[in-house]
Amino acid sequence: MTRGSTRVIAMGCARKMLGALVVFGSWVAFISSTNAAGVPRFETHIAPLFKRHCVKCHNAELRKADLDLSTPQGLFRGGESGLVLVSGAPKKSLLYEQVHQGAMPPGEETRLSVPDVETIRFWIESGTPFVAEIALEELTAAAEISNHDIEPLMRLRCTACHGLRQREGGLDLRTKAAMLKGGKSGPAVVLGEPANSLLIKRIHAGEMPPDEKLIDSGVKPITESEISRLERWIEIGAPEVPVSPDVASTEMDRLVSAADRQHWSFRRLRSVAMPRWSALRESAAAPRQPIDLFVLRKQREKALQMAPEVEQLTLLRRVTYDLTGLPPHPAEVERFLTDEHPDAYERVVDRLLVSPRHGERWATFWLDAAGYADSEGKRSADPIRPYAYKYRDYVVRSLNTDKPYDRFLLEQIAGDELADYTDSEKVTEEIVDNLIATGFLRMAPDGTGSDVVNFVPERLEVIADQIEVFGSTVLGLTIKCARCHSHKYDPIPQRDYYRLMAIFKGAYDEHDWLKPAFVPGQTKVQKAGRLLSVATDAELSQMTFRNIQIDKEIEQQKQKQTQLGVTVRQQHLEEQLKSVPAGVREPLRALLTVAPGERNPRQRELAAEYEAQLILDDAMLKKHPAYKRAAVEIDRTIKSLQSEKVDRPQIRALWDRGVPSPTYVYRRGDHRQWTSLVGPGVPSVLTDGKTPFEYRTPWPNATKTGRRLALARWLVEADHPLTSRVMANRVWKHHFGRGIVSTVDNFGKLGVLPSHPELLDWVANQFVQSGWSLKHLHRLLVTSMVYRQSSQASPQQLREDAENQWLTRMPLQRLDAEELRDSLLAVAGSLDERPFGRPDAVHVRKDGLVTSIGKQGSWRRSLYVRHRRKEMPTVLETFDLPQMNPACQQRPTSTVAQQALFLLNNEAVRALSRDFARRILQHTADPVAQVDRAYLTALGHRPSGEERELAVQALLNLEIEFAALPGAAENSQDSAERALAVLCHTLMNSAAFLFID
Amino acid sequence: MKTRSYEHRNLSGGAGLRQSRRGFFHRAADGVHGAALTYLLGSDVFSQEGLPRANLLPATAGPRRVYDLTSRETHFPPRARSVIHLFMNGGPSQVDLFDPKPALDRMHGQSYFSEIAQDVSSPQQAGGLLRSPYKFAQHGDSGTIVSEVMPHLARQVDDIAVIRSMYNSHPNHEPALFKIHSGRLLPGRPALGAWVVYGLGTENQSLPAYVVLDDPLGLPVNTVQNWQAGFLPPVYQGSRIRSTGSPILNLRPEVDRPTMVDRLQGDLLSRLDEIHRRQRPGMLQLDARIKSYELAARMQLEASDALDIGQESQKTLELYGVGKKPTDSYARRCLMARRLVERGVRFVQLYINGQIWDNHTGLQGGLKTACDRTDQPVAALLTDLKQRGLLNETLVVWGGEFGRLPIAQIPEGKDLSSAGRDHGPRGFSLWMAGGGIKGGVTYGGTDEIGFAAAENPVSIADWHATILHQLGLHHDGLFFDRNGLHEKLTDTFKPRIVKEILA
Repeated sequence: MTRGSTRVIAMGCARKMLGALVVFGSWVAFISSTNAAGVPRFETHIAPLFKRHCVKCHNAELRKADLDLSTPQGLFRGGESGLVLVSGAPKKSLLYEQVHQGAMPPGEETRLSVPDVETIRFWIESGTPFVAEIALEELTAAAEISNHDIEPLMRLRCTACHGLRQREGGLDLRTKAAMLKGGKSGPAVVLGEPANSLLIKRIHAGEMPPDEKLIDSGVKPITESEISRLERWIEIGAPEVPVSPDVASTEMDRLVSAADRQHWSFRRLRSVAMPRWSALRESAAAPRQPIDLFVLRKQREKALQMAPEVEQLTLLRRVTYDLTGLPPHPAEVERFLTDEHPDAYERVVDRLLVSPRHGERWATFWLDAAGYADSEGKRSADPIRPYAYKYRDYVVRSLNTDKPYDRFLLEQIAGDELADYTDSEKVTEEIVDNLIATGFLRMAPDGTGSDVVNFVPERLEVIADQIEVFGSTVLGLTIKCARCHSHKYDPIPQRDYYRLMAIFKGAYDEHDWLKPAFVPGQTKVQKAGRLLSVATDAELSQMTFRNIQIDKEIEQQKQKQTQLGVTVRQQHLEEQLKSVPAGVREPLRALLTVAPGERNPRQRELAAEYEAQLILDDAMLKKHPAYKRAAVEIDRTIKSLQSEKVDRPQIRALWDRGVPSPTYVYRRGDHRQWTSLVGPGVPSVLTDGKTPFEYRTPWPNATKTGRRLALARWLVEADHPLTSRVMANRVWKHHFGRGIVSTVDNFGKLGVLPSHPELLDWVANQFVQSGWSLKHLHRLLVTSMVYRQSSQASPQQLREDAENQWLTRMPLQRLDAEELRDSLLAVAGSLDERPFGRPDAVHVRKDGLVTSIGKQGSWRRSLYVRHRRKEMPTVLETFDLPQMNPACQQRPTSTVAQQALFLLNNEAVRALSRDFARRILQHTADPVAQVDRAYLTALGHRPSGEERELAVQALLNLEIEFAALPGAAENSQDSAERALAVLCHTLMNSAAFLFID
Repeated sequence: MKTRSYEHRNLSGGAGLRQSRRGFFHRAADGVHGAALTYLLGSDVFSQEGLPRANLLPATAGPRRVYDLTSRETHFPPRARSVIHLFMNGGPSQVDLFDPKPALDRMHGQSYFSEIAQDVSSPQQAGGLLRSPYKFAQHGDSGTIVSEVMPHLARQVDDIAVIRSMYNSHPNHEPALFKIHSGRLLPGRPALGAWVVYGLGTENQSLPAYVVLDDPLGLPVNTVQNWQAGFLPPVYQGSRIRSTGSPILNLRPEVDRPTMVDRLQGDLLSRLDEIHRRQRPGMLQLDARIKSYELAARMQLEASDALDIGQESQKTLELYGVGKKPTDSYARRCLMARRLVERGVRFVQLYINGQIWDNHTGLQGGLKTACDRTDQPVAALLTDLKQRGLLNETLVVWGGEFGRLPIAQIPEGKDLSSAGRDHGPRGFSLWMAGGGIKGGVTYGGTDEIGFAAAENPVSIADWHATILHQLGLHHDGLFFDRNGLHEKLTDTFKPRIVKEILA
């Protein structure tokens, strides 16, 4: 008690003195000009300097970066980056470093002069002296302790067992009232008497938090300084300061200025006037879509020309890849060539847009951005996520049915709050889909399934990754930068990051965590993972039916195995009988039908001599060559059948659990340094700055906060500044190779400005007005004149529009990883088009080659291959499939020797070329027709005369070569096939195959 | 040269097809592309002398516009051209190798558990302080101290700089390995080697830029994730080269075809590609692709050649300990490492199976076994690099992911004779040599008992920055733009270059 009282008195004195000093003006007047040895003093030298250069932003009201330099308290308290001053050590003082390096104040004109910087350095070095008598240690000491220092501490160290979900000993430590109430052993806290408080006693005795439960509950031991903070709080009577969370109000936000809101992408979407055609009429070709007008107008300004319209079959190949990720089928090429309709091309587009392959192709882009993976990552073990595929299928289905993008987002951001799924009577397909959709928020790498990395920092990593993905994918902003400090370039204060975190907190709460899934061997206490078991009746009965089917199949397999055993035993018997004297054969046969106990003495004698030789016991049977192989094969089939059985449908969902813990801003992102309390909200710069974020429980009695639903509804407002622009730009990028904003994931100040701002807004408006229809958007873009341009560039275009930002041609693009693998399969006729379901497993060869496992000589599309972070198929990785950590917003394209080696030498590619050849042989035996057919299949057009001549000549020469091989003479068919396979392999390696014009 | 089991008949009538490789490459009509393709397709009927060598001038510094491996200028003049990283998986015990602690002899057996309780992974097996079973002595002109289990290295100490004050931040292998390889405790970030080749490319386009020589007996902890490219384009990830069989994935077809077939295919492909390219003037991607086929062809030749240690003299083989147990396997990889850097490979990383340095039990025998397998080959590598004038441009780094505790770890039911040491991330030793490193230096230190770095601690970020520095790269200047951030090897750490060990 004594120590405390003294300190309070000292504080009081300091406060009085400071009170006299608060106004700068008076300090200056207060100076005595007779400072010893010219050492600068705060009031005389430093405060005026700050006033001139710093307090415009860092004052008590604005507190940019949570820093107030207008008072000594503020100066010593520091900001969101922690302390800014270390008395006596300029180099350790952030403030000095910032002004010294010229990082602060921002902008050239306001920079401090060299003498000023030197003054600051000297002042700090001299121990930050004041004119007035000020107790420095009091200034630097933290403000008095309140419940805001203690409650988060309790969350961190105690409430896992004494809180919301568990009340060990009947004790809840979340609030002061609950502490005073205590548990079975009485009150946890005696006000003013830490030494007599049970809480402190148990902590000091080393009993709490209990060592043996630390790892299981994801809690780290309480530290000395935390204990003393807690003691001090109890000592001074456990003061509670009523602070309401910092949220947006109807009062103008001061942290984000009106000027900040003027950046082009932060302004609401407005309608745009179309350029007038009459003004552009001299252009060579007639526009087909309004977007052409915007592009033509820019080209005219730059004195550039659009490239001529591309040849029809090239266009067919381009659009087929573009909309489905696959080459056009030869029959489609033929049909297109014979289609006399003037809108033959538009009809192709319509056909492609309804193809089930369309959703599979475009899902890839969304899944990249969402960071889709079939494994958890983070840990070397990289555990499999068994149910992630449902989200992948959801995306494919949504794109195929052209689910409006606003609905698509609503479901993914807040599917759990859209409709009540807890009442099992009402579960519909839509409700199940809603929950699967929230898988979008479950794609971040998540190692917390493993006990040793399930502590608060690791949980925060998951949340941070998820917010990063959300920010980049949906908003096109690098929000993640604001986790540790206010964004350096964009007007996103650190506060806004934590407001966003508060939105997610109903589901993702670092103090009330659910492990992603149960990972055997990685966790001691088995707990249900973050999975929901919600299903429609139809789904359940389908599952039961399926399981019964599987059981039947398993039974059949078992019978087959038994039968095999019988057959092998019989064969063995016959075999062995041959080696016994002929005379005993029949008697032996006879005795084998008699049970051992009922045999006569003669039979017993014979049995003793021969039976062991004749009969295979179980162990011998298992090793018998005629049995072993087939039986192992059957065992494997049974095992795989068993693995297809489902206990109960599980959904990898994210759902609000209704009781989020309070959200504090973490200084420098460090969970042990909580500062101000914030509530849910969206980035202020994307609002008018004076509109509260409103949310409510989504349905009566729901255990949901409704926060994410409110976020989602805000996102899909028709004139939202970013949602439609960002998505329209993504779609544009995938069609034209480059976004109108080339940094598709960064629309902030460091992003590249749009090359055609009106065009982007016009397209975004079209998108919204069409009911957020993605297919409408695709149709709009691919039927334009811009899209139908040739990819060939004139020297002028290459010179004056090197990056093609003015769209003077279509880009020449290499097939991406999935397109390449799927095309190899498709042209070989080995593509298994079965959609959906569990991903296909991969095989990892000893030398590191990873291949997907197919069924009966065919393989499904790359989308359906298991995407385990640590073992992606070599072919995909070689052609730039990115690793998801946490996601990929733009894929790189590399050109390396390994790609050439793969296509030329990989045995799987060679095998596919043989399949390809056989496929052609079914059509024709004529070399010229074969060459034509191969071209049509692989490249979507017939060869030119020159190409045909070369290819046919090579084919004939190859045939001669193969025919000349020893043993080839008998089978000329074989030589022809082998020669054709080489031709097919050559086409699969050719630039014409690898690139799309 | 392989011999074919069949006679190929010249049925297509091309007499020119029998000409020498040199002549073949100079046949104007085919261009390099055609010739390279023919070679690439598995034919090895010619000698290799005529194959044109990559002659690529370094590009100017700046962000890469094309993700390839062309050699690039450094930020400032480099001291090292290549790196050989001898990674010692498991955590070599500093107090038994490089960092003698007389206090441990003095206090042997005393309990120290409570002082370091929070750092002991297996508290139930914690014993008292454990003195080193080995003797230490000063060696060379410099008097660098090395224990008796590394007699070969002891003769090379004047070339190496020992850092005794390294520290890592996790006591488990997996996170610690991620940290030492990529700067963070988690998977998903690019490895040091990936950063280096992203920054500098490589001087020999005929070989992978970043080569990993793993142990045929098995992969290290974290397996292939140790050399991943993370968010960098996959072209920068480490390429595993196997010491047996085909050294690089898909380097050769699994099934050979007649030479003439390969040549006909190569010829056809190059002609078709030539037509394709002719119709699309100015498209750089197409040129780059054709170049990649040429590189692939050269890689076939040179990879086999680089790894053929049969070309080495008997004396060299003996120096490394090839053909002799227990050094043979590691000796081969060390020798290959020299042959690779000699050919301009930028970054070579050597692994050894399992965790031979993870001496939880039986320290005395276990540590010696690890040294017996590696000491001679490692010392030979230094000697050999030096005698060929390669050491001053090759940075050799030796070390594990962390060190070990000064107290004993005694398995349940056993006594002190089978004691080992538990993981100790707070202080450990490693060494660097060549590439502008000052030899004969011992830098930094741990506390009295060797538990934690105390004097001039060196973080892993410091160490990474120092390696980059020797290669002429500044850690802040080597970045990759991703999602609005300059991602760097040293992340947001503020590393210090360990200037004290630089020559």
